[in-house]
Amino acid sequence: MQKRVMTGNEAIARGFWEAGGMVAASYPGSPTVELMEALFEYDDIYSEFSVNEKVALEVAIGASFYGARAMASMKHVGINIAMDPLMTFTQIKTNGGFLLMVGDDAGMSSSQNEQDSRVLAQFANMFVLNPGNSQEAKDYTKLGLALSEEYNTPAMLLMASRACHSRSIVELEDRVEVPAKGFSYDDGRYTMLPPFTIKAQQAMKDRIARLEEYAYGAEINHLEEVDDKEVLLIAPGMIYDNLKELDLKVSIYKPGMVFPISIKKMEELSKKYKRIIVIEELMPIIENQLKLAGIPCEGKEIFSFTGELLTEDIFNGLLKAGVVQGDKMPGRENPVVPRPPMFCAGCPHRPVFDVLKKAKVTVIGDIGCYTLSVLPDIAGSHTSLSMGATVGITKGMAKAKRLSGDDSPTVSVIGDGTFFHSGMTGFLNLLHNVDEEDNMTFLILNNSATSMTGGQANASSGLYNNVDDIQVHIEELLKVMGHDKVQLVDQFDYKSLKEAIAKATKEKGINIIITTRPCALKYKIKEPNFYVDPEICIACRTCVKTNCPPIHMKKYEGIDKEKSSIDPDMCVGCSVCSQVCPVGAIKRREEK
Amino acid sequence: MSKNILIMGVGGQGLVLATEIVANAAMLAGLQVKTNDVIGLSQRGGMVWGSIRYGEVVHSANVPIGKGDVLLGMEPLEALRGSRLLKEGATIILNTEEVYPSPVIQEQAQYPREEIAALKDKFKVIEVNAKEEAKAAGNIKTANTVQLGILAAVLDDIKKETFLEAVVSFVPEKAVEANKKAFERGYQIGKGK
Repeated sequence: MQKRVMTGNEAIARGFWEAGGMVAASYPGSPTVELMEALFEYDDIYSEFSVNEKVALEVAIGASFYGARAMASMKHVGINIAMDPLMTFTQIKTNGGFLLMVGDDAGMSSSQNEQDSRVLAQFANMFVLNPGNSQEAKDYTKLGLALSEEYNTPAMLLMASRACHSRSIVELEDRVEVPAKGFSYDDGRYTMLPPFTIKAQQAMKDRIARLEEYAYGAEINHLEEVDDKEVLLIAPGMIYDNLKELDLKVSIYKPGMVFPISIKKMEELSKKYKRIIVIEELMPIIENQLKLAGIPCEGKEIFSFTGELLTEDIFNGLLKAGVVQGDKMPGRENPVVPRPPMFCAGCPHRPVFDVLKKAKVTVIGDIGCYTLSVLPDIAGSHTSLSMGATVGITKGMAKAKRLSGDDSPTVSVIGDGTFFHSGMTGFLNLLHNVDEEDNMTFLILNNSATSMTGGQANASSGLYNNVDDIQVHIEELLKVMGHDKVQLVDQFDYKSLKEAIAKATKEKGINIIITTRPCALKYKIKEPNFYVDPEICIACRTCVKTNCPPIHMKKYEGIDKEKSSIDPDMCVGCSVCSQVCPVGAIKRREEK
Repeated sequence: MSKNILIMGVGGQGLVLATEIVANAAMLAGLQVKTNDVIGLSQRGGMVWGSIRYGEVVHSANVPIGKGDVLLGMEPLEALRGSRLLKEGATIILNTEEVYPSPVIQEQAQYPREEIAALKDKFKVIEVNAKEEAKAAGNIKTANTVQLGILAAVLDDIKKETFLEAVVSFVPEKAVEANKKAFERGYQIGKGK
């Protein structure tokens, strides 16, 4: 059989293709981005990055309604956006197999929180499969779709962040075509309001009960036993592999399905073993299923409710529980100078936050690369919450300021991707109860791409290249809505940007500034680079404070004081440093 | 027993692809393999790391603390950071080109040159200026292939030809010759020639 090294994301894409999947939709969010990018390579499947997670879920639901196998994928916080259709969709007897793939992020390597998606699956009455490596990711994708059809229920495929990005060897199989069954609406199946929904409540409950029966003998719920019946460890997903690393002589139950857990199976095991210890990241989902059924077990009193459970965390927990002996294992804390992320060389966000920092105004941030501006070395924005939140928050704060006699401006920043995702509706809401005395300035940082996740296209990307299809002009859209103070600014003209922001924040009403430079990572700047003339440089560090990767202080021969310098290999020639320099010490080279 | 390899670097250095290439070399050698890497936020000039473990059986994709056999440090400070996971006497391939992190740029921290130099006391360090070597091999874009060539020389359980096959399968056709040259140059450095 042909084998390939694949990431978890790639393996799910492969599994969906092999399973005869037809339609898939997603919104880019780490750690799930590469799943959809891998799916784009399969011609038999219609796949898209939708405008947000709710729409992505609905696109996939439409295909499932028609009886086609469908998948929606998103990061954990994406489900929050999609929760409204999801909660009612799960009431419906699923037609075409439906998989909701979710990437959780225990440890928050690239997220704002670490909510446990299993809670939402329980809430929505969906079963949850939890693969730990790429082969399992592919197998469970196929199994999830098959079970979805057999039990008429959507399935959740839950992946840890590391499992999404981790590579391992996968055996490849052929695609099996699964024709769509078509849409038949005569039984009230898709009409979710009473009286139909009353029956649906019971159906959901019965479905989970039947899935629990399935879980009893399911192969994916794997038990490996040793003679010693002192303790049984329950270890799902990647935690199983981290545990196996310890090479303990201990019995392990690895549930491939983490909700529902077979209580019958657990009762049997409970009689056999003196202790059951559940090792799970984040919330005590498996532990609580057992405890609710009156099965004694341990879990969260031993293992942390936050962060990942790596091999050393598992060992230290088991040490605490008296299951293993020895010294506590050290953690992965590292004393070496940290390397926090920063804006790229040539990033169009740099001048914006340099101006905002110096303007000393309240800046309500949002989600995107520009969220990095909350970090201390940039310190250009002061809040970060959720996608699109800046618009509503800015309005609420401005209203509260007015009622408190505070006439200071409130500035909002939002990217183009986030604007289309969920910021647009906020801009519409600004037009309700307009008060000309409110002082709000909105900076829309239109860089033509959804950059933080790797430069995916969004609704204005088509204006910048001939690959992407949607070509929405944000300024025209806002004007059509009814906003009249909308202006475009080239932020690499630092002085114009500074003046535009100064004017807008002084002026009352709703001022909107749209910046025009595209993402430096996706649309590379190839201008002659800059250098510092150390004889002119006064070592004021104004350029250094823009926090640009190639700029740092350096000792020059024959000059006492350290002066600024620019690494010529890293500088792309955006010119921002030369414009903030008060003495003209930064000059452009003739040619690169 | 698995072989534990770490690759440490800075966002944008092509570390994820390097991890993928080594994983493929291990698979072509008929071994089990797992990798892990952290991307996402780190793409914006932050630290990036990858771990590769291969052997007859591999459980976790993470290199356990103190069990690393070889570290490919694409940047010195990141090599220092990763060295904590190495076993004593492990090999470090150290690309000497420094990339300053934000705290150093902002003069809140020193770039730890002395600690990096002291890595030689505990580990076998193979220093290389990958960019210069790539230039000498004829194509500056092959700096990572030079480093992979060194890695291939250090690893004794994957044949040179197998490793090269994996490298070649990931480069565009017109760059194959340049990468073969760069790989060979790295291999010779790794063998101490």
